[in-house]
Amino acid sequence: MHGKRIEEHFIDKEPYYREQGQELTIALAAYEHKIPLLLKGPTGSGKSRFMQYLAWKLKRPLVTVSCHDDLSTSDLVGRYLIRGGETVWMDGPLTLAVRHGGICYLDEIVEARKDTTVVIHPLADDRRELPIEKKGEILTATDQFMLALSYNPGYQSVVKDLKPSTRQRFIALELAYPGPDIEAEIVQHEAKISREEAEKLVRLAEMTRSLEDAGLQEGASTRLLIHAGTLINSGIAPRQACKVTISETLSDDHELVAAIDEMISSLYT
Amino acid sequence: MDSAVDNTITRQLYEIIPKKELNSWESEELLECLTELSQPQQGLLLQQLSVIWPVSHSLCLAFLDAVRPALACLDEKQFAEWVRGILGRYEAHGLQEARRFMADLDSHFICTLKGQSGLLLTDVKTRLSLYLRGVAGRPFELEKATLPGTDTATIFLPQDISIFSENDENFLVYKFLASLQWAFIRVDLYCHEMDDEDALFKALDRSAVKNRHSEIFLHRFSGTFTQPQLAMTIYHFLQTFRALSFLQKRLPGLMADSQTYFQRVVEDFPVKKENSFLAAEYSFLLEQLGKNLPLELPPGPFRQNCNSSSWRSSPSQIFLDTARVYEEVYRETSGPCIAPAPFFQGSFQVEEAHVRRLARRKEVEQQFIEALSIRILPSIAKKKEEHGDQQSAQADQPQQPDSGANLTLRLPSQQDEEKEKEPGHDQVVRHIRLDDEKIGLDIKLQELSREIMDDLGNMPQLYLDSAEKMAAGSSYEPNMITEEQGGAPLNGASLYDEWDFRRQGFRHNWCHLLEKEIQPSGGTFISTALNEHRGVIKQLKRQFEQMRSHHRFIGRQRDGDDIDLDALTEALADQQAGLPPSERLFIRQLRDQRDIAALFLVDMSSSTEGWVGKAIKESLLVMAEAMESLGDRYAIYGFSGMRRTRSEVFRVKKMEEPYNDTVQGRIAALGPKDYTRMGPPIRHFSNILSEMEARVRLLIILTDGKPEDYDDYKGEYAIEDTRHALIEAKIKGIHPFCITIDHEAQDYISHLFGEVNYLFIDDVKKLPRRMPDMYRILTT
Repeated sequence: MHGKRIEEHFIDKEPYYREQGQELTIALAAYEHKIPLLLKGPTGSGKSRFMQYLAWKLKRPLVTVSCHDDLSTSDLVGRYLIRGGETVWMDGPLTLAVRHGGICYLDEIVEARKDTTVVIHPLADDRRELPIEKKGEILTATDQFMLALSYNPGYQSVVKDLKPSTRQRFIALELAYPGPDIEAEIVQHEAKISREEAEKLVRLAEMTRSLEDAGLQEGASTRLLIHAGTLINSGIAPRQACKVTISETLSDDHELVAAIDEMISSLYT
Repeated sequence: MDSAVDNTITRQLYEIIPKKELNSWESEELLECLTELSQPQQGLLLQQLSVIWPVSHSLCLAFLDAVRPALACLDEKQFAEWVRGILGRYEAHGLQEARRFMADLDSHFICTLKGQSGLLLTDVKTRLSLYLRGVAGRPFELEKATLPGTDTATIFLPQDISIFSENDENFLVYKFLASLQWAFIRVDLYCHEMDDEDALFKALDRSAVKNRHSEIFLHRFSGTFTQPQLAMTIYHFLQTFRALSFLQKRLPGLMADSQTYFQRVVEDFPVKKENSFLAAEYSFLLEQLGKNLPLELPPGPFRQNCNSSSWRSSPSQIFLDTARVYEEVYRETSGPCIAPAPFFQGSFQVEEAHVRRLARRKEVEQQFIEALSIRILPSIAKKKEEHGDQQSAQADQPQQPDSGANLTLRLPSQQDEEKEKEPGHDQVVRHIRLDDEKIGLDIKLQELSREIMDDLGNMPQLYLDSAEKMAAGSSYEPNMITEEQGGAPLNGASLYDEWDFRRQGFRHNWCHLLEKEIQPSGGTFISTALNEHRGVIKQLKRQFEQMRSHHRFIGRQRDGDDIDLDALTEALADQQAGLPPSERLFIRQLRDQRDIAALFLVDMSSSTEGWVGKAIKESLLVMAEAMESLGDRYAIYGFSGMRRTRSEVFRVKKMEEPYNDTVQGRIAALGPKDYTRMGPPIRHFSNILSEMEARVRLLIILTDGKPEDYDDYKGEYAIEDTRHALIEAKIKGIHPFCITIDHEAQDYISHLFGEVNYLFIDDVKKLPRRMPDMYRILTT
């Protein structure tokens, strides 16, 4: 297992991020006061991008961990490896960020098992400590360290909900899909398409989002719109582009897919 | 004509239709009709008459009027088919529709025989309503009607479309018709209120004032014209133009796709009547549409008098324009002959829309009050209690029966509201205040409040008062029911919502579900069944054993959870010995653990009596035996019940309960009960399963047919509720899987369960074998 060095986690180029409201101001204030951040929002609404932007703005390295249910505490904290007959301690991503004052971003935190996530508790309150059991060491975070979590309150089951004891340590920012104007601006910029095309995609997204009560788990995200726009930009016919990026990705239900296809063909010639 | 034959015919006819039922000219006509036919034709006709006469006498006579061309061109089989078609129409839509069907032999029947059967609304309804919901952002009901139209809540569409030979193209027509009706709602065809109505009427400066007091704005408006009908036709034309232009902008793809359809309409459109009003105008529009050109107003009175660009910014402009066009047309020819509009424009039913709007208003009011009263119930109950405590503490006065009456429910003060109003958004109530307590409204209530504010412009205090009264009047019990429909509520029952597809929303706390014990029964069922299926069981046990989860650590890995001491020692020794040491020094837990919780839910409705019930019980037994060797957690419940107040589930085996004689006895005791209301048990067990810690949560439902209950829980309603309950289960992270036992696969199954989530079994004897197979496939 070869981890990246902390230097490699710096973000050099300004990532594109279009602010929707006060989220940046709030996140910067949270950073200043060493309060961890909880980002809520549907899939593809810009949570990870926001973290990249924040890291760039703060000029801190960003260590991202995508959580899954096999993620163990060692995967976060670190473990001993043996190299050439010697044991070598290898920091996990969380330890790396704590030690070097980076931002550790645990994406989709509810996917991880609960016994894994308790390790962040002492980090998330004013102790700001990370116990490294295997080394018998307690690491205190530097002032520059920040912890951020994200989760999607929309589709996960009750079992996977965040425990109140976890969530009450955070400042929560909701990143929902932006309003139509801002969303069109984002799609236009990211997919490099005309404003008119971008607005059309946003309209399609709104149509799919209103199917959420009718059996669709989630409507088209901003990210999907950018994918569709990118394909359109590269010369693929819009109907085809939207079909592969939007209707087929949103559902496997035959009737829902057909209905979304009809929306697409109504919008695009 | 030979008189002997003649007599036989007469006799045969009177055998089918007693002579006394016919008056003399009718029987003369009948006989005349018959004698003119060839003998085989006579036979054919008499045979069908015997089918039609008992259904309806007047239909039979109408049939005889129309039968000749059909006899001339249809063979025996087709003729019988045609008669079936007539009876079908008659039964569904009455005599008029049947007459129309008979008269139009060519398009209705011959085309069908050529394989151009057309597309039925029922076949595309689901797709179309999902499409429309997405496009419009709110649900509409779709209904059959002769002409397309809308009453602003329902969209009416023809029951079949057979304009093209390809059904894809016919679907496009449906899609266009539905979108156009939505566009009509968007451009406010049924304008019900005009803010500056007085100013408008002043500007119109008209002397005729009929319908001044009609409650419908469009009536008041058209009443100012000598020929109200002409004015409304002009208005409808302008709105059609507007709706089509709107669609061109909003749904350009749809309008481009519909080009072929418009070209077809142009061909059929009667341009010949050049002199009738609107013929040229419609043709002009259709031609532009056929070429997919941006719409322009047709030359002549419309282009000269209308200012379509300001319709949006000034709502009264379209009415002023209507009046100007009317003036010009009326001046030239008072009372022109009006050309028929193209079919797609549809009906324009001002009264219906108005009535519907009022009905909807009432409905929304009811729903809002009901939902709000449920929302505030706990707070009211709490306040009542506090109040009661106070009183008894003060003195030993007898307690007032209605101590909650002096609470007031109101909207947040102006100040609060100002803050909460989103700029540029619709009005919506997010909170209400009960005395000093702020109560947030859920999404459903917010939606309703939005609809109310859209309609009325404000939230009437009356609604809030009624809700409060309703809440104060009812005692706060978890199993409270508002509307008794028979069947006493059960104590300790759980309440479940039910999905009403017509309103696209839930009926809150609608169903009462009770968990019951089932008494184990003795008898020989178990031993007989075990003996009978012992071969299968043995085989399954072996199969299932191989699927067991293995908790094991594997050593000598490159990385892992812990150091593999054996490997390390070896490596150190190797190093000492000058050999290159291995780097595989870790142990790791292998995660091929079967973390599965399965719940078997068995239909115990009365229809399972007999073979089906027996096979289900045997299958459960076989399944349970096999599961024992697998080690997955599983539970077995039966369900039945009658009416929404008595849904019952019967416990055979709880999740953690060991499989033993008692459980076997309970399986044996499973027996047919009442009806199949599937929503509540699915919701109940989804909740239970979703709280279990397991990687895979399976809800396996065994049923023998479609959901149905004694009350109105049947047909589409029952299917949609069950489908919704299954979707809810999926959202909770549960995998529902349905095994349905029926003689033949029904059309609704894939809609109900989802294409990949069910198994259809036509022969009940296969069930004991197929069910474990299915389980194995699902979980590996």
